[in-house]
Amino acid sequence: MSLLSSLRNWARGVFHRSALDSEMEEELRGHLERRADDLERSGLPRAEAERRARVEFGAYQAHLEESRAVLGAGWLDSVFQDLRLSVRRLRKNPGFTLAVLLILALGIGANTAIFTLTYAVLLKSLPVPNPQELVRYTFRSGDMDLSLSGPLYDALRKHETACRDVLAWSGEDFSMEANGEARKVQGALISGNGFRVLQLQPALGRTFTEADDVSAGGPQGYQALLGFAYWKEHYGARPEVLGRPLRVNGTSVTIIGVLPAGFDGLVSGQHADLVLPLAFEEILHGHKSMRLAAGSFWLTLIGRLNPGASLRGAAANLAATEKQVRAEADPQHIYLDRFFSAYRLSVESGRSGRSYFKVLYSRPLLALEVLVTLLLLLCCANTGLLVLAGVSARAREFAVRRALGAPAGRILRQVLSEIGLLAVFGLAGALALGWAGAHLLSAMLAGFGEPPPVDARPGPWVFTFTAALTLVSFLAAGLWPAIRAARIAPLSGIKEGGNFRPPTGTGRWIIPAQVAVSVLLLAAAALMGRSLLRLLLEDSGFRAGHAVLAAVELPNASSSASPPVLYAQQMVEELEHTPGINSAAAMSLLPISPSFSAGHYYSVGRDGAVHSDSTTWPETITPGYFSAMGTRILEGRAFVAADLASEQVCVLSASAARYYFPAEDAVGRYLYSGGANSEEDGKTKPSPENTFRVIGIAEDARFRSLREPAPRMLYILERDNQFSGYFTLVARGPNVAATSAALRDVLRRRLPGTPLPPIFTFDQLVARNLVRERMLTALAGCFAGIALLLTAMGLYGLLARNVVLRTREIGLRRALGAGPRDSVGLVISQALRLVVAGILAGLCIALVTGRLIAAFLYQVSPTDPWTLLAVAVVLLLVALAASSIPAWRAVRVDPMHALRYE
Amino acid sequence: MGDQAQLLPGTLDLLILKAVSLGALHGYGVLLRIEQISRGALRIEQGALYPALYRLVRQGRLKARWGTSDNNRRAKFYELTSAGKKMLRQETDDWGRLAAAIASALRAQPEES
Repeated sequence: MSLLSSLRNWARGVFHRSALDSEMEEELRGHLERRADDLERSGLPRAEAERRARVEFGAYQAHLEESRAVLGAGWLDSVFQDLRLSVRRLRKNPGFTLAVLLILALGIGANTAIFTLTYAVLLKSLPVPNPQELVRYTFRSGDMDLSLSGPLYDALRKHETACRDVLAWSGEDFSMEANGEARKVQGALISGNGFRVLQLQPALGRTFTEADDVSAGGPQGYQALLGFAYWKEHYGARPEVLGRPLRVNGTSVTIIGVLPAGFDGLVSGQHADLVLPLAFEEILHGHKSMRLAAGSFWLTLIGRLNPGASLRGAAANLAATEKQVRAEADPQHIYLDRFFSAYRLSVESGRSGRSYFKVLYSRPLLALEVLVTLLLLLCCANTGLLVLAGVSARAREFAVRRALGAPAGRILRQVLSEIGLLAVFGLAGALALGWAGAHLLSAMLAGFGEPPPVDARPGPWVFTFTAALTLVSFLAAGLWPAIRAARIAPLSGIKEGGNFRPPTGTGRWIIPAQVAVSVLLLAAAALMGRSLLRLLLEDSGFRAGHAVLAAVELPNASSSASPPVLYAQQMVEELEHTPGINSAAAMSLLPISPSFSAGHYYSVGRDGAVHSDSTTWPETITPGYFSAMGTRILEGRAFVAADLASEQVCVLSASAARYYFPAEDAVGRYLYSGGANSEEDGKTKPSPENTFRVIGIAEDARFRSLREPAPRMLYILERDNQFSGYFTLVARGPNVAATSAALRDVLRRRLPGTPLPPIFTFDQLVARNLVRERMLTALAGCFAGIALLLTAMGLYGLLARNVVLRTREIGLRRALGAGPRDSVGLVISQALRLVVAGILAGLCIALVTGRLIAAFLYQVSPTDPWTLLAVAVVLLLVALAASSIPAWRAVRVDPMHALRYE
Repeated sequence: MGDQAQLLPGTLDLLILKAVSLGALHGYGVLLRIEQISRGALRIEQGALYPALYRLVRQGRLKARWGTSDNNRRAKFYELTSAGKKMLRQETDDWGRLAAAIASALRAQPEES
């Protein structure tokens, strides 16, 4: 207790306790002396007089204590006393202590973990002045959130009246050369007005102005800004970096400033270690510059509202000017129309910048928050039940203490201080658990070899949230048993000879409520599990179980000696000749990944009917593709090497074949690459390079995502260097490890001096595609498991106590001839009444609230009767299991033993 | 000590106010004064006096100051504030009414039918 006593000493100093105390004691001693004097004068010897004075005075310490309490100085003392008592009691009941600690830490910890993510993804603001004034322009279709193009930015900015100005931002990877070695640096490009819009002051030097955002970067060349963390790590936070030259993507740039600490760009999950003006894009993309390409979507646009303007105003302004903006950005209506038919241009709050995760995870996170709150309710209910059971067991002690004069408030405080102590330790456990959980989840969300996209570091907000939650749980779980304890009448416990009966009715509603909550959690988990299973088991059009893939990115595509296709073809050939590899191929875009492609094609039927479509996904592949990815050819044939020498050929997916050739056999027919205007389709004779003869039909494959229907696919044989600097290699053999090693070998040999691209299996690709479903299922499953356990515990506790309380009744029944089945029936029927009521209530709520999780389910109805039935059965089984031990105890009740007490 | 009555709850404050109303007193003096004015009929646990005194000070009914007592010892003296005077009047009236009511209730005879 040295900590306690030192704390007390400190408190004494703070409250001027010593002065007050000595004054009080002086007064009380004065009283005793005067009394002793009087008694002595009446003839008693001095010693006897002093003794009598003390006796008459009563309990000196108690009165002193009470006097202190009156003056308000004693509360700290009594709190410490309560705490000391609590520590002693908790140490004497390790089972109770551990159970409550575990339950609280689990319940609050789960909430902390989810809230950490919710905060990072949904609530965190950009570290700029007045972030609530920021708006972001979105171009969205369902879960797809497209960036915007340069011409759209220019037109939008010109017509925007609700915002002071609009900035453009693009996250980029730069290749920084230092000491003859290239290093990948994550950074961004920003328009010249960007820092003015953000109102961000540099930590050092200056930021960009419009004069920096011009071709070639102005008379001094390109200027660059360093991120604060990068500056600290790589330049030791030395101010001399200003004016230093850097070589970035083969171009010299000059450092002119350092970004403020804490600012890490506008896109969550990306770092802003190096920031360059938007005009630097001409260096990054060379002759394929995207700045003026209306159909290249790469810019994140964020504006700052005028004083007094609202998000709604910005949306209205955008709706009013959209037509004009489109016309200015794409005067010939070549590029944008087909996107605007599927995507909607809108504005949303830009307070937290842009987050791909927000699009995908805002609703799942809210659903998780609901689930985890339910879990906490359960935990509180169970803690309350445990504490109440403890209070009942100590009813005699409380009754005696009350009879000896302890006020009710004192008992209340004693019980509360025990739970309070548990809550404080529970808080510590919850923080540790929540922190670990959040890290686990954010690691789960990370892509291949990428840093976690969500900042799961605990911050002051998360801590505040957890502390507040702990306080709420403490009150919810502790106040009600404490009040019960304080209400115990001073004598009742003694009178009944220790056979204290807890107030009946407790648990009558708690158990059904617990069961109902468990039903909800279990139903959510089961439904999510079922849809995940469906997604995994359904035919995706890929049977690539042992396939290993690599997303290759060629260094400096524009300047490398041989064109990318040569690299690709050489690598594929080398892989094909590696023993242990059965098939290998290269493809332009990685399937079931965020990449996405669409092109305009048309066919002309024998009857002259033209079928055109601009959502067909052209995928350029090498001949081994179909066998490597396990996509079956339904009709016709796959590519062979000889096809490279003949006219252009293609393979269509089944849905594409049905669309383009609804009434005839597609094999042997022709597909044409359409021009800018679909009105022109079929009116002119297409050139040979725009003509593809269909040689086969492949089964549909869910290229975009396992969650989405298969797009119309057009497979084209790679021949004219259609791979840009990016392509995906795939190799398949019986042994995944050997295949990965071979792939790594080939990449190292062919691309020396560049960092090894990420290598992953097809199963990992699937797992990444379904990470949202996996996370939801895993978490909901966890929560449901805990909920079942807690419910079983609560039910068991209640039934066990009831068996003890009704021992006499059961014994009497047995003595009167009832069999053991009757005793079991007594317990089970009580359990069933409670559980069935809970199950029914839970199912009703599940039916009503089902649509809340419908959005995350895949071809599973949120009110699926079989799932809900299974949930009900599981809960019944758990309830039976929980009541089996109390039932067994009821059977073992010895009638004679029980009746002897009468 | 013989024929002494236990104090009813809540009456100690009233007695203290009454005792102090006759002149400033230290704690032990308050005790003696109560015994004196009740002619020794009321027994007070002496220690209980002090929490009551502090409470009354806290409530603003009494004020306390340190002074010197009879044989030159330091002592804390209590006297009534105006709020204390008002409370004394009020409580005295209430007590009178209550005592009268209880006395008359206890005198009542069962009605013969």
